[in-house]
Amino acid sequence: MTPLPRLRVEGLSVRFHLPGATVRAVTDAHFEVRSGQCVALVGESGCGKSVMAHALLGLLPGNASVEGAAWLESGDAPPVDLVAAPEKVLARTIRGRRVGLVPQSPAAHLTPVRTARAQLTEALRELGNPDRADALAERAGLRPPDLDLYPHQLSGGMAQRVVNAIALAGDPWLIIADEPTSGLDRPLVDATMTELRRLADDGRAVLLITHDLRAAQQVADHVAVMYASRILSVEPAADFFTRPRHPYAAGLLDALPSRGFAAIPGQPPELSDLPEGCAFRPRCARATDDCERLPQPLGSGRVACHHPLENHAAR
Amino acid sequence: MTRALGRMAAWRLAFTAPLLLVVTLGMFVLAKASPFDPVRQYLGDRAVTTSPEIARRIRANWGLDRPLAEQYLTWLGNLLRGDLGESRSMHRPVAELIGERLGWTLLAVGCATVVMLAGSLVLGALAAWRRGSWADRLISGTAYANEAAPVFWTALIVIWIFAVKLRWLPPGGLTDAASGTVAPADVLRHMILPVAVLAFSQSSWLVLFVRESLITTLREDFVIGARARGLRERTVVVRHALRSALLPFVTLLGARVPELVTGAILVETVFSWPGVASASVQAALAADFPLLAALTLLATLAVVAGNLLADTAYVIADPRVRVLGVS
Amino acid sequence: MATREELRSMPGGLTPARRRFPRGAAVTLALLCLAVVLVPAFARLDQQLVDLHSASLPPSLAHPFGTDEVGRDVLLRAVYGLRVSVLVGLAAAAVSVTIGTLAGLAAGAAGGTLDRLIMRVVDGFNSVPHLLFGIFIVALFTPSTTAVVVSVALTHWMTAARIVRSEVLTLRARPFVDAAIGGGSGRLRIVRRHFLPHLTPHITLAAVLMVPHAVWHETALSFLGLGLPPHLASLGNMINDGARSLLAGNWWASLFPGLFIFLPTLAISALAQYGRDRSSPRRRSELQL
Repeated sequence: MTPLPRLRVEGLSVRFHLPGATVRAVTDAHFEVRSGQCVALVGESGCGKSVMAHALLGLLPGNASVEGAAWLESGDAPPVDLVAAPEKVLARTIRGRRVGLVPQSPAAHLTPVRTARAQLTEALRELGNPDRADALAERAGLRPPDLDLYPHQLSGGMAQRVVNAIALAGDPWLIIADEPTSGLDRPLVDATMTELRRLADDGRAVLLITHDLRAAQQVADHVAVMYASRILSVEPAADFFTRPRHPYAAGLLDALPSRGFAAIPGQPPELSDLPEGCAFRPRCARATDDCERLPQPLGSGRVACHHPLENHAAR
Repeated sequence: MTRALGRMAAWRLAFTAPLLLVVTLGMFVLAKASPFDPVRQYLGDRAVTTSPEIARRIRANWGLDRPLAEQYLTWLGNLLRGDLGESRSMHRPVAELIGERLGWTLLAVGCATVVMLAGSLVLGALAAWRRGSWADRLISGTAYANEAAPVFWTALIVIWIFAVKLRWLPPGGLTDAASGTVAPADVLRHMILPVAVLAFSQSSWLVLFVRESLITTLREDFVIGARARGLRERTVVVRHALRSALLPFVTLLGARVPELVTGAILVETVFSWPGVASASVQAALAADFPLLAALTLLATLAVVAGNLLADTAYVIADPRVRVLGVS
Repeated sequence: MATREELRSMPGGLTPARRRFPRGAAVTLALLCLAVVLVPAFARLDQQLVDLHSASLPPSLAHPFGTDEVGRDVLLRAVYGLRVSVLVGLAAAAVSVTIGTLAGLAAGAAGGTLDRLIMRVVDGFNSVPHLLFGIFIVALFTPSTTAVVVSVALTHWMTAARIVRSEVLTLRARPFVDAAIGGGSGRLRIVRRHFLPHLTPHITLAAVLMVPHAVWHETALSFLGLGLPPHLASLGNMINDGARSLLAGNWWASLFPGLFIFLPTLAISALAQYGRDRSSPRRRSELQL
């Protein structure tokens, strides 16, 4: 029996070595994304979310060291550990073909001196996709003449559709969407979320990395909350949005405009200078001396907190 | 695009006319301040025996007794009409001399530029792509060393190795001394060393520039984006990183014309190549003002043309400038 | 637990180790300086001594760099040559930085039409290839040390002028200048009391970095026969003399003196590179956090 297609991240850690400092961008992350599911990885900017996306694709700069494993188990192909796989394997069999990236700020991820068409056609050709660029563009909601524009001429929505089309050129099974909504207005965010949902419903797996909880709510089946390089909780979306158990998750939700705009007091710590124990402790109203020990994930919802909320009603 | 190009060309040309005027004025003032007496120089050994009366008549004939401003305007007028005067050392019209030699300089410099561009692109890209490898260390090390080595010294080393020790190629000249005609194969053999030295000496900054620029570009989002799409490494480096990295390079290339002229002067002299650049040295050694002035003006024009070419290339190459116009 | 070593091979992704201090460069430079300062005092050999019996001898223990066409020791002459070239280079750098400082001060402090005029002149000077311009100047005056210094100075003052002008423009925006003007100080007084002290480090650095350029320029002119008087043992003159016997197989008379330009220039550029690396540490933003 072939195992269910999934991405299984086990103990993933990423550190950047700078002269005189070590930055812990991701620490001991555990989660999984299954076929047909959308998992949202949420957190404030600078908590290490985007590093996770680059780590899974092997795109980190040379001064990064990665530990742990990220098993990609899809279809009949033998499982691949994205962390241990050599660059050649990643370049030839993983990126674009099995894992597609919908990048942050799409226009910046297109080469400025070439038209959208040139880049889309090139991706189709190199990934062995017989489709024509025009057909793919129309499916992504673009008019064929739009493809003849240069990246700086594309509107935010058009650029988003172009990178979506390029990301799907190699028919990847897992889509990593890294802050796909930053800089887009509400209707475009909604359209992008609908598109991601459709991809998941087609049987792909979607990992949505975002700080936009409203966007996450539109598509996510599960929500993983990240804070100061660690994943604090992984819960089903329904539970997360109605009765979050981690105090930080509750804080994030309470900060939403629709829920009272109550921002969490204080600032997140610097990733180069993380405290011992629970990193959220200084900002947490429920913190006690217990919190100086690192909390282990507990229970079915996997919440890393010594004092999880039992019934935090949405305000 | 045409509008942006036109605006830029007009701006350049508007700057060029006063510039050339300043350069001619500067040369004229320097020539007048010079202790060399053109009449005495013209007469040579006869100067001692020539009567002051004859010297005075030559002076009047050349207009040297007129006021300075008038002399300058006459000279300028002649230049504008294409009358570059007569070379005092070679006793031939300057225009004819330049016409004869310019082709050889353009041939050598043109070939050197092509070799330099191709070589530097490949080597610079290789060094950036395999940054930190032995190939990178060898390429950047050689480029740094090359930067520090005077081109005439490099040329002498090359002559000693390839012409004196190995006897593969001739040490200089356009053709073999024995041959009376200019055979293409012969010229080609004589061209290899000067072209190679000129290309090599000019390539170091370019190699380092391509390397630096590509290293920066390889970290850019769009290169990471291209890599994330699963494109082949070659495609990522050549069609995404290199293509974007080369944009500033077209402008810099045009701005390097002065260095190219300097290199051509030294290389043509070492290899006795009969071009205009080595003629400037001969003119200088003979204090031949008309020839030297014409060549200096020619070089200035080349610099201005280089800048114009660079701007044009930039407008054509960069879609962002093309649409927004020159700011 | 797998540490991802493969990343190290990611193209362009390798972060180089911190540049080490270029000890070799510093030692080379120090030795050359010592030689230039000390040898003329100790080696009382007459450097102009002509000895046709020992003409064109290849390098040996007695003559590590060999001898030239008329039997003079190439090493000793090269050390003297370096001394001459460095002195001429220093003089030229001093003159050109002085011209540049004055022009930059005038442009920056006066502003307006004078500023525009001076900057156009700078552009004009930059439009004529430097060596050709230098050749032009030397050609019209008798080849002499003065002509070479003037030629180098006139072709190199523009860099200093630009630096000083932009520094003055920054200084003008600073409050203490307003205070001085408010206190009734005259323009010249402000320049002398307030601008010059702030500009000194910039001017000094510009002058130091100018020296290798000046030496190169002097050497090139001398090599072309348009530089220092032929009897002076400058490096350019030596390479020029030596080049004539190169085809006869005497390579040491021209190639060894070239080493004395090549090595110090390389050493200075290595030290300058090190200085630049030290002063601009890697930015954190490169980490895409």
